Amino acid sequence: MKQHLGRQSGVQSVDVTLIDGKVEIVPKDDGRIDPQHLLKAVYDSGVSVAEMDVTVRGRVAKNASGNLALNVSPNQSFAMAMNELSKELEHLADSANTVTVRGQLYKKPEGKKKLKLDPSVPLKLLVLEIEKKE
Amino acid sequence: MHSKKLALFVLLGCALVPGSQAQIQHIEMRVEGMT
Repeated sequence: MKQHLGRQSGVQSVDVTLIDGKVEIVPKDDGRIDPQHLLKAVYDSGVSVAEMDVTVRGRVAKNASGNLALNVSPNQSFAMAMNELSKELEHLADSANTVTVRGQLYKKPEGKKKLKLDPSVPLKLLVLEIEKKE
Repeated sequence: MHSKKLALFVLLGCALVPGSQAQIQHIEMRVEGMT
């Protein structure tokens, strides 16, 4: 799995801890990493992902339907799940400020042993911690 | 001459700053079924 993940685009290094099933990925500086591809790559290597957390820096934006999103690059954006922390970011929508947040992009639904991953369903960012507002 | 250098500096800055401002910095996964 480590080799398989290491070959994915945008991945600089992969660190796997067997005891607690933790996989840490450091992206390359070019920022061209796709968490959805990584999820698929893990499933393809025969293991399932229970949870995926990211630390991400970007700009808060509001789409036409009023939902918040975090724009990471011109072609990468994560819709934000609403919670108390995402509400704190609402006033920064469409401003020049950047924020660094730690959030959950994926959590395996409870009680499902085998899960079919649907790549057409976009990942939603649940903000767990606001690390920096600039 | 100085203005040319300044213009080049500004151009380079514009090209580099967006990349360093926004990006995924770290990803952590908890996986099941790993042996």
